[in-house]
Amino acid sequence: MIDRSSIGAGRFVLSAFSWLVLLYLLIPLAVIVGASFTPSPYLRFPPDGFTLHWYGQFLKDDSYLRAIWTSGLLAVSAAAIALLTGVPAALVLARAQFAGKQVLGALFFSPLILPAIVIGAAILQYASALGFARSFSAMLVGHAVIVIPYVVRTTLASLIGFDASLEEAARDLGDSAHGAFFRVTLPIIKPGVIAGTLFAVIISWINVELSMFNTTADLMTIPVKLFNYIQYSVDPMIAAVSAGTIYVAVLVVAILDLAVGIDRVVSMNRQRTGP
Amino acid sequence: MPISRRWILVLLGPPLIFLIAFFVVPFFVVVISSLHNQQGDWTLANYAKAILDFYYWDTLILTFTLSLYVTVICLVIGYPLAYYMIYSLKSPLVRRFFYIVVVTPLFTSNIVRSFGWMVLLGRRGMVNDALVGIGIIERPIALMFNETSIIIGLSYIMTPFMVLTVSGVLQNIDRSLEEAAQDLGAGRFVTFLKVTLPLSMPGVVAGSLIVFTLSVSAYVTPSIMSGGKKIVMSMLIFQQYGSVFDFNFGATLAVALLVSTMLLVGVYLLLMERTPRTKVARA
Repeated sequence: MIDRSSIGAGRFVLSAFSWLVLLYLLIPLAVIVGASFTPSPYLRFPPDGFTLHWYGQFLKDDSYLRAIWTSGLLAVSAAAIALLTGVPAALVLARAQFAGKQVLGALFFSPLILPAIVIGAAILQYASALGFARSFSAMLVGHAVIVIPYVVRTTLASLIGFDASLEEAARDLGDSAHGAFFRVTLPIIKPGVIAGTLFAVIISWINVELSMFNTTADLMTIPVKLFNYIQYSVDPMIAAVSAGTIYVAVLVVAILDLAVGIDRVVSMNRQRTGP
Repeated sequence: MPISRRWILVLLGPPLIFLIAFFVVPFFVVVISSLHNQQGDWTLANYAKAILDFYYWDTLILTFTLSLYVTVICLVIGYPLAYYMIYSLKSPLVRRFFYIVVVTPLFTSNIVRSFGWMVLLGRRGMVNDALVGIGIIERPIALMFNETSIIIGLSYIMTPFMVLTVSGVLQNIDRSLEEAAQDLGAGRFVTFLKVTLPLSMPGVVAGSLIVFTLSVSAYVTPSIMSGGKKIVMSMLIFQQYGSVFDFNFGATLAVALLVSTMLLVGVYLLLMERTPRTKVARA
């Protein structure tokens, strides 16, 4: 038998290590938030005071506001397309039996596996050939392609445990097919649909690899603008903009946790992860 | 309730058309254009150029080497955390807090996360301050803009994927197998080595694949963390599209990256298939 103290020590090491990893996951984000409040004109962490000056400065800058607007519109539109195409696709993939279903399923998940940079290049080349390169629509179709899998995956996950006989029961009791869908199926897939849609919004909102192929000086998303800026210089104002995107992330995670529950969101996304 | 053929068409048609139009066809446009020169003639010259020039091989090898380091680091950091979350955390509230902390970085862009490390690793950053403070180094050293900084940045970004994938598999392991091992006199550590670890191998394999493939194609983090001083494949690809404007050669590099990654992944899966340990886990 192994003596008890060595088990205790092992446990202690594991728990200390895990909390350190948690700290490691938080520090880079905390550093940005902290540095955004610093009064000095260069980045400092921990901050040497407290000011909201940098936030004021970026909110006065029209180009940032326009980039935020473009990104927001892009994220909401891409998520809307993903919602309208992904939910019906998931319903069919979960319920119907037909030849070639496996291949179709794989097709719906393949944008997750193909490198974003390859999809970005592909959309640019394709859009150039058709004459809509470097436009909002070119970015939108690309974003929609990469966020559809998230909606399909979470909707599918919520359908898999669901007993189709419930719907049959509803119909036997005299409900129409549409009634059965809205009264039985929809409430069951709701968490999956909410989680998938929020994922779609955030994945689009933070994307650089696709957008950068199709941005121009006048058509900028906020991540691409940040990226261009950070490569040449960094200052507290850029930390304030970055911190703003962190607040959005925290907000979305909070909504997900309250609306669906974070562990459920995580397990829904595990269905069919991996290439 | 079976869905009728008509409904299958109605429900599946639009999403399918969308994906074909904006994903499948564009992808084939890339493949086809990699086989053309800029004048529009069919040619293999782009591939010859990519294969015969050692520069591209060096870049490819650097990309894969960095990604391999990142995968191993993520495993070393992520596995224990996943194990701790599933096996040691009893309170649902604390576990929820852990999940939130693991997921939140995934919801912030790679730029912001790399930016955080840029501040931390700078000459006057916290890491240098700490190293000088402890006395490991005498004066601040250059931690940014080299291969190490790329590995640090990418490992940070990929860790959540590893944690979530491994914890998913750990969660589904049948606890009675571990109890049986302990009833038979195995200690906690032996139980872990002989039962839990082999059974969690599918998670390790899947997690490594996700981390590796995402690292190979990562663009933002290597660009920021290397300051352009080290070039990886994705940077070469974007250069062709963004500044050289040779779409055909850019397409060739993209296809080359994709094919070589798929080959490596195939070899890895084949090797894992042959390892007795994973076979046990699958059984």
